[in-house]
Amino acid sequence: MGKVLRDLFRFNREFAAGVILLGFVVLIASLSFVSPYPPNDSFVVPPDLPPSWAHWLGTTSRGQDLFWLLTFAIRNTLLFGFTVAAISRVLSLVIGLVAGYAGGIVDRVLMSINDTFIVLPLFPILVLFYFVMRDKMSWILLALVMACLGWAYDARLIRSVAMGLRTREFTETSIFSGMKMRQILVQDHLPYVLPIVFSTTMNNINWSIGLEVTLSVLGFTDINTPTIGVLVYWANQHTAMVAGIWWWIAFPIGLVIVTFIGLFLLAVSMNEFIDPRSRLSRIG
Amino acid sequence: MSATLIEVAEVGRTYAMGGLFSRHRVRAVDSVSFAMETARPEIFTIIGESGSGKTTLARMILNMVAPTEGAIRFRGTDLSTIRGAEARLKFMRAVQPIFQNPFEAFNPLKRVDRYLFMTARRVAGLPEGEVEGAADTALRNVGLSLAEIRGRFPHELSGGQLQRVAIARALIPSPALIVADEPVSMIDASLRISVVNLLRRLRDEMGMSIIYITHDLATAYYISDRIIIMRKGQVVESGDARTVLDRPQHPYSIALKAAVLSPDGTNEKTEVTSHA
Amino acid sequence: MTAPALSVTGLRAYYRTSHFGVEREVKAVDDIDFQVGVNEIYGIAGESSCGKSTLIKTIAAAIRPPLKVLAGSVVFNFGGRAVDVYRAGEREIDGIRWRHLSYIMQGSMNVLNPVRRVRNSFVDFAFRHIGRSTAEFTRVVVDHLKRLHLEPEVLDAYPHQLSGGMRQRVAIALATVCRPEFIIADEPTTALDVIVQKGVLAMIRDVQREIGSSLIFVTHDLAVHANLCHRLGIMYAGRLVEEGPTSEVFRQPLHPYTQHLVSSLPRIGDAEPKKGLEGAPPSLADPPSGCRFHPRCPVAMDVCRGNVPPMVTVAPGRRVACFVAAPESRP
Ligand SMILES: Nc1ncnc2c1ncn2[C@@H]1O[C@H](COP(=O)(O)OP(=O)(O)OP(=O)(O)O)[C@@H](O)[C@H]1O
Ligand SMILES: Nc1ncnc2c1ncn2[C@@H]1O[C@H](COP(=O)(O)OP(=O)(O)OP(=O)(O)O)[C@@H](O)[C@H]1O
Ligand code: SF4
Ligand SMILES: [Mg+2]
Ligand SMILES: [Mg+2]
Repeated sequence: MGKVLRDLFRFNREFAAGVILLGFVVLIASLSFVSPYPPNDSFVVPPDLPPSWAHWLGTTSRGQDLFWLLTFAIRNTLLFGFTVAAISRVLSLVIGLVAGYAGGIVDRVLMSINDTFIVLPLFPILVLFYFVMRDKMSWILLALVMACLGWAYDARLIRSVAMGLRTREFTETSIFSGMKMRQILVQDHLPYVLPIVFSTTMNNINWSIGLEVTLSVLGFTDINTPTIGVLVYWANQHTAMVAGIWWWIAFPIGLVIVTFIGLFLLAVSMNEFIDPRSRLSRIG
Repeated sequence: MSATLIEVAEVGRTYAMGGLFSRHRVRAVDSVSFAMETARPEIFTIIGESGSGKTTLARMILNMVAPTEGAIRFRGTDLSTIRGAEARLKFMRAVQPIFQNPFEAFNPLKRVDRYLFMTARRVAGLPEGEVEGAADTALRNVGLSLAEIRGRFPHELSGGQLQRVAIARALIPSPALIVADEPVSMIDASLRISVVNLLRRLRDEMGMSIIYITHDLATAYYISDRIIIMRKGQVVESGDARTVLDRPQHPYSIALKAAVLSPDGTNEKTEVTSHA
Repeated sequence: MTAPALSVTGLRAYYRTSHFGVEREVKAVDDIDFQVGVNEIYGIAGESSCGKSTLIKTIAAAIRPPLKVLAGSVVFNFGGRAVDVYRAGEREIDGIRWRHLSYIMQGSMNVLNPVRRVRNSFVDFAFRHIGRSTAEFTRVVVDHLKRLHLEPEVLDAYPHQLSGGMRQRVAIALATVCRPEFIIADEPTTALDVIVQKGVLAMIRDVQREIGSSLIFVTHDLAVHANLCHRLGIMYAGRLVEEGPTSEVFRQPLHPYTQHLVSSLPRIGDAEPKKGLEGAPPSLADPPSGCRFHPRCPVAMDVCRGNVPPMVTVAPGRRVACFVAAPESRP
């Protein structure tokens, strides 16, 4: 695996660029651990200063150093994206593989649940959820809800591949070798759907971050945990744009865009590697 | 009756095929019946047209596809009543398949030895210490050895080697019935004879019954006890193998026998413009 | 005399793999020379895993790592245009595929995309080359399928809904629908019943006759060779060991391996016990020294153990690599 990653880095420009961009973002996020200021303290520095040597990215109207605040924000945003992606991948994998393998009635039941989730209108549900939960709203809760809403489409994709695999003779050899369904799904079928899982992971992270930013900007999330969206929310509350404090909005948005591009490049290049066909030629 | 090993009674299977608008039904197997006795292990050959339902019939016997009509009973138990993991494993201990296409029989991303070990462990239920020995013994039965096969991926083995590994895998739990779907179609004439001899030895020495599906009338003649000839899902002729093949009665069987290419015969060939 | 359609000289192709630092070299094709004439059907037979498919792959320029061509050349001649497969560029080879040269792989019934209907596979492969309207294209394809005893309905099926033999015929249809000049077929008829097989062979012969194409045909079924091929090459452990006009090879096999092969054929009406070849097939990773057949050869001599018998011409059109069959080749 180490060798593969090295080769990928050396020979695949998209991969290298993606790793560098994401590495940069993760580095910034990890700086939050050495921040001199706790994220929720305000008026620790003079407000509304433009970027300077003392405050690289300037300060906010609430008297926070934007750079250090941003490290917390991007950390929480990334964490949020990964959590949603991880939970929803597990859901779509389990449901897609089982439906494709079992077929028949199991498939029909799972897929009708699946279709319900596909047609559910996302945004109103999330907003409704916010109004129901109000003060109890936390990002963990939001991540769970979004994971539940984000698996359905990919599960259908995985199911279609799994159905093809079910008809291959090697699945039958596995059955007659006494392998249990779980083993067959994990050992025989999972490698074939990994490409889908990886590319959809990146897309799913992008999707969930985007949605979280949108919700936060509108104030429909827990506004006391700093995320990129919450940052922009506070900036709007203080009419930063009108007051000419552009950096309060520009830097968070810029960082999110860098994250998007990095994830996208990784998705594209990983795909090529993980595709079983190109993997076959590597095994040899 | 406990003396029957397997009883196929008026079995049929229909498939729906085609697009949304041009749906039509295919009668892959149409009321086929036969039985095999426990006391008399035999090689039971199924020959027939391509697409005549031989594979479908084999899959029904292996309980991989359910019949749409009729019933199949193995040692008196209707296959459709086999439920649960334990019962299924028990069935697999007694009935094992060999598939048509060795290139498809193993997952291309996995090493082939895992199938042998898995079968020894789970189907045959051997303790961990005997697993490798059992795999090696089975491989030696087909002219291979564990040393040759260990750690290899399917694409590193030739068709013949793969097919022999597939046979070896099926032998591990010492099943009472082996369903072999064109097991020799991909291997050379000499090896074909050894595999066919091996099937015969399984019958004679180990008392296994074998359902042997093939297109090769010569090997069918060579080893089988009984034969059925299928066409369009139906059995058109059945009986003692030698009798049927020596003097086929049904027009299709006669045509089939007539179409067999003889290694001595030469059909008309074109003129060669340039000889190298 | 016109130039041969294909000449293979000194071809050597090995699989080189390294697993966790253990290097392994499988000598699957070693020093093979032969030629195929225009309009000729050349058969190749041999033991399982002796390297037939590998030979075919190297000829069809379908080389993928770990397979490496170490030496030799493969030159096709398409109507006066010589194409050296290993000197030509990627583009030229791609231009030749399907139109001039088509290759039916072993196990070709599995090359069909499992989640696409058969019709789509035809469109993917052949539409470009046939270059007609969609309706006419369908007609050409349906006509072609009919010659292979296939109903037009198979076009609307997914591969897993077809029987093995049906899939195999679809693969043959794909490879021949563009009427290429050179067809290379690796075990194309193994899953067919004898009646259909006869029809398919007749179709192949018709296509071959109509467009004067040349054919290399690999199969284990010696009866097919006897009825289809003009000449036959026998391979053993990565080498060509005998070659000659098919009927002569059957009537009077020269190499001890060929002799065994011909005598082990079962026939209808003959239930006399036959035996497979004694001894284990040689490992191509570490082939026997000298003549690779010597550990299993009933007439092996001392000279066979240390010297590789060269392929020599013993009679017009007949070549053999054996010190007993060709005593003059002894060192
Ligand atoms: N899953 C399926 N869905 C629809 N039709 C099917 C399916 N499986 C098989 N069939 C059809 O059933 C018929 C019989 O197929 P089967 O594979 O049993 O033939 P076979 O006798 O084994 O042929 P071969 O000798 O070519 O292997 C064919 O017409 C095939 O198209
Ligand atoms: N990708 C690979 N890597 C390593 N070894 C390989 C690979 N492919 C084939 N081999 C080995 O090369 C040898 C020749 O294989 P090949 O497929 O050419 O045989 P074959 O004559 O076509 O056999 P069959 O008649 O069984 O199809 C075999 O010993 C096989 O194990
Ligand atoms: S060269 Fe020697 S060992 Fe080889 S086939 Fe001839 S007699 Fe046998
Ligand atoms: Mg079949
Ligand atoms: Mg081959």
